Amino acid sequence: MSVPAADLLASAPAQDLRAGAAPRARGWLRNLEIAVPGTVLVVLLFFCFIWPLVYHVPDPTVGNLFQVNLPLWSPGHILGTDTVGYDIMSRILYGGRVSFEVAAAVQLIGLVFGGLFGMVAAYRGGWTEAVMMRILDVFIAFPSLVLVLAIADSLGPSETHVIWALSAFSIPAFARVSRAATLRLRDQPFVVAARLAGTKTWRIMLRHLTPNIAPQMLTFSLLGASLTIILEGALDFLGYGIPAPTATWGNMIATGESFISVYPRLVIVPSIFLLVTSICLNMMGDGLRARWGVR
Amino acid sequence: MRPKTCFRRNARPSALRLSSVILATVVAVILAGCGSSKPSSSTPSSSAPKHGGSLTVLEGDSFAGSWPGLDPATDTDGAANMSYMDAIYGELFELTAGGKETGDLATGYSFTNGGKTVNITLRQGVKFSDGSPFNAAAVVWNWKRDLAGNCSCKPVFIGTPVIAQTGTYSLSITLSYVDAPFINALQGDIFNWIASPTAVQKMGEKAFAIKPVGAGPFTVVSDVPDSLLALKRNPNYWQPGLPYLNSLTFKPVSSDETALTAMDSGAGQAYEGMSTPQLVSSFKAKFQTTAEPSTSPYDIQLNTKIAPFNNIKAREAIYYATDAALLDKSLFGDTYPVGESFTAPAGLFYEQTVPGYITYDLAKAKALVKSLGGLSFTLGTISVPTATELNEAIQTEWQAAGMKVTLASWDLTGLIAQFEGGKWQSMLQTAGAYDPGTGVGVCFRFCSTSPFTGVFSTTLNGLLLGAAGTVNQAQRKALYDQAAEYIAKNADGPFLFPIAGYNIADHGVGGPGLTTPLPVTDVNPEILWQYVYNNG
Amino acid sequence: MNISVPVQPARWPGSAFVRRLASSPTVRVSARRLLSAIPVLWGVTLLAFLLLNALPGDAASALLGIDATPAEIRSFSIKLHLNEPLWTRYGHWLAGVVTGNLGTSLASPQSVVSIIASRLPVTLELVIYALVLTFVVSVPLAVVCARWPRGIIDRICLVLSMASLSTAPYVLGLLLVIVFAVHWSIFPAIGYTALSTSLTGNLDTMTLPSIVLAIPLIGFYTRFLRADLLEQMQSEDYVVTARAKGVSEWRILTRHVLRNSFIGLLTVIGLNLATLIGATVIVEQIFSLPGIGYELLNAISNRDVPVVEGIVLVFGITVVLVNLLTDLLYGVLDPRIRHVRSRS
Repeated sequence: MSVPAADLLASAPAQDLRAGAAPRARGWLRNLEIAVPGTVLVVLLFFCFIWPLVYHVPDPTVGNLFQVNLPLWSPGHILGTDTVGYDIMSRILYGGRVSFEVAAAVQLIGLVFGGLFGMVAAYRGGWTEAVMMRILDVFIAFPSLVLVLAIADSLGPSETHVIWALSAFSIPAFARVSRAATLRLRDQPFVVAARLAGTKTWRIMLRHLTPNIAPQMLTFSLLGASLTIILEGALDFLGYGIPAPTATWGNMIATGESFISVYPRLVIVPSIFLLVTSICLNMMGDGLRARWGVR
Repeated sequence: MRPKTCFRRNARPSALRLSSVILATVVAVILAGCGSSKPSSSTPSSSAPKHGGSLTVLEGDSFAGSWPGLDPATDTDGAANMSYMDAIYGELFELTAGGKETGDLATGYSFTNGGKTVNITLRQGVKFSDGSPFNAAAVVWNWKRDLAGNCSCKPVFIGTPVIAQTGTYSLSITLSYVDAPFINALQGDIFNWIASPTAVQKMGEKAFAIKPVGAGPFTVVSDVPDSLLALKRNPNYWQPGLPYLNSLTFKPVSSDETALTAMDSGAGQAYEGMSTPQLVSSFKAKFQTTAEPSTSPYDIQLNTKIAPFNNIKAREAIYYATDAALLDKSLFGDTYPVGESFTAPAGLFYEQTVPGYITYDLAKAKALVKSLGGLSFTLGTISVPTATELNEAIQTEWQAAGMKVTLASWDLTGLIAQFEGGKWQSMLQTAGAYDPGTGVGVCFRFCSTSPFTGVFSTTLNGLLLGAAGTVNQAQRKALYDQAAEYIAKNADGPFLFPIAGYNIADHGVGGPGLTTPLPVTDVNPEILWQYVYNNG
Repeated sequence: MNISVPVQPARWPGSAFVRRLASSPTVRVSARRLLSAIPVLWGVTLLAFLLLNALPGDAASALLGIDATPAEIRSFSIKLHLNEPLWTRYGHWLAGVVTGNLGTSLASPQSVVSIIASRLPVTLELVIYALVLTFVVSVPLAVVCARWPRGIIDRICLVLSMASLSTAPYVLGLLLVIVFAVHWSIFPAIGYTALSTSLTGNLDTMTLPSIVLAIPLIGFYTRFLRADLLEQMQSEDYVVTARAKGVSEWRILTRHVLRNSFIGLLTVIGLNLATLIGATVIVEQIFSLPGIGYELLNAISNRDVPVVEGIVLVFGITVVLVNLLTDLLYGVLDPRIRHVRSRS
């Protein structure tokens, strides 16, 4: 499902559908395109990971039964409390932690395994490549949500399982990107020269190919992180993700859905955080791509 | 020992048979409800029922709103689909106001042979909607077919019951033991619904499940499983002048919220089993809201076989640390009757207080936890919003007493696996039924013969099974009272309160069970569709 | 195109045609594409099967529950072939798949194929409606953006499309429900009215879900189409010629360039399909639409393995086939592609 951007990138043929699509600004505006989402992300990361260490934030899974359903801006509960007296701000922060952790882990797994897979396929070429790419086609044929849902359900609900399930979509996506990037490099003079000089394959991959495809992989991992956060939320929302009462944005939205007409803020607050995070990741990815001239 | 007594009715736990077992005991309470002591019918319709008109009823799709097929012998969701089944097949016995089992297609029953034989007489001159006669032969044929099938929905008996036709309109069933709740247990059970044998044979089971034929007040016009069931008035219904409605349609909705907007937009005129307490006021503002009388209270099961709850001190700490009244107040606005036993106001044998029951005392709880050197464990439940929400609040209370509580929730299959594994420590569940002796009654949670118990006491087994085997009501009550005291004395697990579901109806719509409360028997509230009308 | 084929006496009338066909680059490329889809389709069946069958746990006892007797478990296992080794079971299942038989649901007496068939119209309508909405909005938007690149409208579109691409369907769905159903009561929040019952009723219930599906697509298509239009406007010879003839920019854009871009747009539908299908699962759940995605979640929670398998398989095969079809169409329709390929 979901954010077609990265999903489409995952399923798109090697050439990039979005390249050249964005009108590019100049000068300060261009810097802003990266600086604004970058700053927002840093602030979010700071509050999710550092703030609870330096300042007392209520436990996200210990409620106060005498303070249920407090509205926004209540003293001590800046975003109010939910139906069982959990502090919403605290759940947003700890939920953000989970989102970022899962996104980072899934991107890392995709980067390492998918990146290697794609690189090997492109570098070896021929039948090896054909077979490897057909395997990827199989994974990409399934809508990512459906694939992830089926795996997550079989594995059972936990954060680690969610990470593995989401990797089932991130690995093939990274493999495609890495293959496309490697293909462009394979016959470049410096690679050919290294090969002719008798450099070992793994060394060529490590020393010559990896640094050159890194920008592409990094920008892609930002777009992928955005999708991962949304997919993870979808799993939670449908009840196949990280089990409640663990604070995650998806769980918060799912719980709030039951009272949407009475307490719409229970859905709106986590939705805003989810939306802002995923927009910022996408903008960063896009902005860096343009700046580095990555196709 | 009669190992399966506890499971008598609908009691085969199966992932597919979502309705009957754990779901019945937990979801039942949530979705269909169990009673509140304050049945609040906001505006009872006073006008006399008019004939004609149509009614669209919404059903929550996580429970009643999904129906694989509507043949009693194969409908794995039978109990959950009670409304549809009742409308199409009618019932042998129906539950009427005050909790009386009254004959519908049957006229009466008696126990003979020391209680082991149940004799049933049937109404004469009734015809199935296909014109074939409704008689004892048809009932016997149905019951034998039910038992011969391998549906997880079939009733479970110890040994093979002997079913015999004793006259054109009378039959008997003989068991190897006394089954006092036999008639009460028919509610929501596939034995209560009689299919037309002629139609089954003519159409074949598959086709019959989609377009069933019974002797109830309505007949099927179109049936798209899980999405739409349209019924129309049965012109040959045995009660003259009934049903009131010309057509009755059932539609699933995904949640209470969606039901609210659906009713707002006129997509439905009634909604069965609204279970989000926070939405009651929204519904009340626009519709008639009737609290379903409840029969099954929430209880916290403690696994007395393993640590930490094999220690009675730890169990007592749980009692002291649990403030049921506060839970009711914070989460549900002080709506439900807090109780101390497995019975609820609308059920049989109700007692609100139990001698020796340990009540909330935080200081004592803290002291006990301290003397135990801390208490940490997992509290589980089924992954249904109200249950998980309640668990979160309970966790908060217990943590105040110094316990370390981890929460977990599973879907039905996962929950069954937990009980199978025997490693669970505590569970939020519901116990009880309209008749505590029926399938998802008390034995289900408290007899050591049940796989879903944390209590392993032959004394308690004896009390509960003894009660189920006693036809005399006064003697039965005495046994249940003793059982409740025994549970309290051993601190086997505290009881909270039954959470009521609500039936919602447009103004002008009315009927027994829908706008006037009828006890919830097993899972769903009974609604007597033949008397339901829409004057609006 | 067949200039390289030496003239030979035909042995039978069709052979020249066959040879011609075989030597046509379009056909060759298409044939290769067709062949490469076969292992992928097989892989899709394998993955769909393994996802649900290679996992630990005793399916039979999980399905029957605790109270089942060993004999019941045995007979159930035999019914589901669970007593056989994994690969034998896969063989059975694959044989069924090839003949169009996906087995019978465990929860009801219906066949998986009939369940899917009864749910298909809802999902299909949803997808088509969403695509129509997408085109209606994104084509004019893209043209305006391409007419004045880097203009104010173009910039606003860029920001909006970025936002729409970052939106989770469940967030969007719920927010639209809050605004349009709860707050303004313009649309019903849920439910499904069949097209055959009432057209207006149907549109009432399908509009909000389709908008949820369409919004990210609109963002994507607008950007895609704009980029393609701009590229042609800047680099194509026929645009230069037209300009030289004094044809107005608007006319070039709408009459010539847009027409060419439609072919590209067509192929993107294929790429979007997997995404779109995935999103229908969530949207159908939120809006209670009895489509395939709704049935999928239902079947997952019922542990109805044959139905889950069947639906996952149908999704996978649909995506592979639609991609294949758009690839082939692309080759046939776009003269530029054919030209390039035949030269190489």
